[in-house]
Amino acid sequence: MSDEELQKEYMILQRSRKDPKAFGELYEKYFDRIFNFIYRQTDDEDLTADLCSQTFLIALNNLSKYEHRGFPFSAWLYKIASNEVNKHYRKKKRDKVFSIEEMRVRELMEMVNEGWDEELVQRLVKYLKELPTEMLEVLELRFFEDKDFKEIAFILDITESGAKMRTYRALDRLRKNFNLRIKYDGKE
Amino acid sequence: MGRNDIRLRRNTLSSGRMAQHRNYGEIMARHEKEARLKRIFRTFIYFLIIAFMILLFLLVSQIQEKAESSKPKSTPAQVDSSR
Repeated sequence: MSDEELQKEYMILQRSRKDPKAFGELYEKYFDRIFNFIYRQTDDEDLTADLCSQTFLIALNNLSKYEHRGFPFSAWLYKIASNEVNKHYRKKKRDKVFSIEEMRVRELMEMVNEGWDEELVQRLVKYLKELPTEMLEVLELRFFEDKDFKEIAFILDITESGAKMRTYRALDRLRKNFNLRIKYDGKE
Repeated sequence: MGRNDIRLRRNTLSSGRMAQHRNYGEIMARHEKEARLKRIFRTFIYFLIIAFMILLFLLVSQIQEKAESSKPKSTPAQVDSSR
């Protein structure tokens, strides 16, 4: 996102503090992304709709507390959404779901020149099941939402080096298990 | 760290399908309701603080009054008129 776009977004936020109706523009802009992000962690459309509404409501209620730190406003929305999803799972005491798009997995596999077959997919799913939640959260933001490490660190409330470390470790295991030459940005 | 359920999804949600869940009007209504409740709560807290201050003031002034009334009244000095 360019500085100009960030500035424009900041102006909308300033307006929204005085007139909440102005926030509608940001709602329209980020709704699909936040919905998809939550849906990937719930695999339940109705639950996603509830958590998504809750995310935007919390953002709207706390606009006065928002501090611009050089990230797009969406980073704050992702952070709220992530907290809401985790809160939901803590309350329900259920295993966290990661419902990943086959299409995106195929794209990532093609990037590292791997053939796409059912056995490989099953192995990948098995491998992902063994990863701790913290690693999956970082991988999701990195490879499914295309976030950089600074933004990931902000969203997950960890340090940038912590975010890098989690990704490196997960990819190291991936390299060993699948004999891939994958890089941290998903490319070979 | 916890166990996770990994699912592979063949279909991605279309924009049209997601649009069915857009409800900014409802979010605005909830926001206004919560803002109103927050205002009422804040006013109530201010009212409580002011009431407490008034009560404290009355209590202190009453204690002061009592302390003053319980003090022995000073008698004027007697003058020896025989001298």
